[in-house]
Amino acid sequence: MSVAVMRQNNPIGRRSVTEHRNIYLAAGAAILLLLLMIPVIPWIHLTNPDALFDVMKLKASAIKKLQASYPVFTFLAFVQDSKQGILGLWSFILLLIAAATAVFHAWGIILFFSRKKIAAKKSLLGMYSRFQCGMLFSFLLAAGTLGLIFFANHHYGMQGFHAGFPVYVTLALSAAGYLSSKAMERKERILWHEHGFIEEVRRNWILFLFLVPCFVFFMINNYLPMVGIYFAFTQFNFRDSLFASPYVGFKNFEFLLHSEILHLTTNTILYNLVFIVAGNILQIFFAVLISQVANKYLKKVSQTMIFMPYFVSYVILRVLVFNMFEYDVGLINHFLTSIGRPKLDFYNTPSYWPWIITLFYLWKNIGYGMVVYLATITGISSEYYEAAEIDGANIYQQIRYITVPLLKPTFIILLLYALGGIMKGQFELFYQLVGNNGTLFSTTDIFDTYVYRITTTQPLSMGLGTAAGLFQSLFGFIVIMLTNFFIKRKNPEYALF
Amino acid sequence: MKIKDRSQAGFSVIKGVLLTILSVLCVLPFVVIVSGSFTSNQEIIRNGFSLLPRDFTVEAYKTIFRTPEDILQAYKMNAYYTGIGTALGLIIITLTAYVISRKEFKYRNTVSFLIYFTTIFGGGMIPWYLMYANVLNLRGTTLAIWFPALITPFLVILMRTFIVGAVPDAVVESAKIDGANHWRIFWQIVLPVLGPGLATVGLFQALGYWNDWYRSSMFSTSSRTWSLQFYLYDLVNSTQAMRQMAQYANVNTADLPTQSVKLAMSVVATGPILILYPFVQRYFVSGITVGAVKG
Repeated sequence: MSVAVMRQNNPIGRRSVTEHRNIYLAAGAAILLLLLMIPVIPWIHLTNPDALFDVMKLKASAIKKLQASYPVFTFLAFVQDSKQGILGLWSFILLLIAAATAVFHAWGIILFFSRKKIAAKKSLLGMYSRFQCGMLFSFLLAAGTLGLIFFANHHYGMQGFHAGFPVYVTLALSAAGYLSSKAMERKERILWHEHGFIEEVRRNWILFLFLVPCFVFFMINNYLPMVGIYFAFTQFNFRDSLFASPYVGFKNFEFLLHSEILHLTTNTILYNLVFIVAGNILQIFFAVLISQVANKYLKKVSQTMIFMPYFVSYVILRVLVFNMFEYDVGLINHFLTSIGRPKLDFYNTPSYWPWIITLFYLWKNIGYGMVVYLATITGISSEYYEAAEIDGANIYQQIRYITVPLLKPTFIILLLYALGGIMKGQFELFYQLVGNNGTLFSTTDIFDTYVYRITTTQPLSMGLGTAAGLFQSLFGFIVIMLTNFFIKRKNPEYALF
Repeated sequence: MKIKDRSQAGFSVIKGVLLTILSVLCVLPFVVIVSGSFTSNQEIIRNGFSLLPRDFTVEAYKTIFRTPEDILQAYKMNAYYTGIGTALGLIIITLTAYVISRKEFKYRNTVSFLIYFTTIFGGGMIPWYLMYANVLNLRGTTLAIWFPALITPFLVILMRTFIVGAVPDAVVESAKIDGANHWRIFWQIVLPVLGPGLATVGLFQALGYWNDWYRSSMFSTSSRTWSLQFYLYDLVNSTQAMRQMAQYANVNTADLPTQSVKLAMSVVATGPILILYPFVQRYFVSGITVGAVKG
């Protein structure tokens, strides 16, 4: 094969000849768009402040804080200071889009400067798609700003706001940038025999059809509700319609920081740590024990019995716990009376509950983990044990030096999954055992029960509840990301994703 | 050698005894509930709960089924939620899992990640609640009670593992060469060999629906849509609250559902699961085992 033909077949070789001048235009556009978003460049101007403030019925003290024009990143300050909750959600979404825009542009630009290194190894499709995302978000940002201004003017019935020149520049520039990077991407695709979204839909339309119900479900159940994160920044009430409650910035978080967050966080994390540690130790113990028993019948029956509590609903658990720990007729107090000891008032004494909750968590969940470990033990080749026996190892030594070390990978996987959920509570467990018994909250309140209580009993604190939920979600998310990052660096086999 | 044998034998007896004790401890609470449900209420109040009924009576069950409308309604609703949720959820989960198991599907990793992402980040309970209650206005409908649990990310991943294990790539490839499209491959090749996977995922799904009380508590506006567990919860909770009040005020507790009735209700509500449990246990075990292996 001649060198020329090899060059022909290798896209990397061919591209160096056909590299586009357009790539500089796209990168330049991205840099310019990024510069236009710098928080000192005004995007939204107040056309006629005095008349507008009149319509908004603002007091002089509020007006003093307001400016004549706002950059895209700080318009929420205007919403907060002028108490115009109606503009809040829209401005909030614009802020999120602006953040996404900045990230994608910056990412694209970084890839642009390292494109020669990338191009030596693989296609530049990744860079083009970053550019496209950035351009798309830029366009959305500009269009959304215009939409917000139109909506606000319409709402107040007057020409109160107008867009600054950066909005129009962004609109035009991002459209041009998108089209040009799209054109480059197309050429690059042909080079690499790749295809785009539309071609994929044409080829596998049945697979896309299969995904429609799943898409609808996750949209309704998970992704659209994420918009509701905005409630965390409002003083929520049902009187103004759902999205028009006053925007209050980080006030809810400040309040939480001074009141609940510390003990909710420590409770949630401590309970989970105890669950993880005690749970795994017991699960391994049970699994090893079952695997050591020779009697097949006992093996089967005991596994069935230990696994059974997993199938019981938490409401039944509540009945059970109540019957055991109730003051008058409970099993334990009855027993204490019968041996002549004083009764214990469990339902009014917080210090007992961490023990009770942990006990019943273990009761319900040991079977599940035990099955996992048992499967691993069953998979261990019997040759190891035979060899150990010939070498004179007794049963304890076999467990200690063969079984337990070989359970380590399973343990690590389970541990990592559990660490990922360290901020998630066992809501049903806690709620069913403790319920709305306020005396016990000091040792039993976790994020999930706190938020549930607000949702069902204090509709006026929903902003606060959302803030607590958001804190929990973000904290958990960061823990997962960090865990995954370090695991991936140390041992990619164990990575969560 | 002889000594060693004897110590081994002694050890195996200890193991057996230990395991038996632990297993019995796990089942003990069930025994307390069942025996309590067969004990008369006076006996419970006088002598507390016990492990075996001291005076065997079916009075509590008679009380429940004297006016069976409420509990039958709750049973009916539970069967409805479990049936529709399991059937529909199973179809959607399997379709989704099939798509993300296909190597020729360009966006399979993106889709998998978007499904997984919902387990690591979300808007939280309140936005989720407001979505159904205020945006879609589904409060009081049965839809709000079964829809939100249709798909569990864990089950999608589990099902994908089952599909990858049951259907070799070569089979799908040759079917495609023979001119079958994905629709036919799914219904005529994948589904027929997916029995164990369908049973496992379906049972997990059914268990979740059968034991649910949470969505009934959030979205019900009348007791007609309550699931069985929430009906039981309400019964237990109202007696519990009344009893606590009775400690301080002079409330007549004679009309409240008695202890033994509550226990009998618990038995009735759990009954089907515990009866079916020995037969379906192996599917759960296989599901947990397969799910633990990272796919």
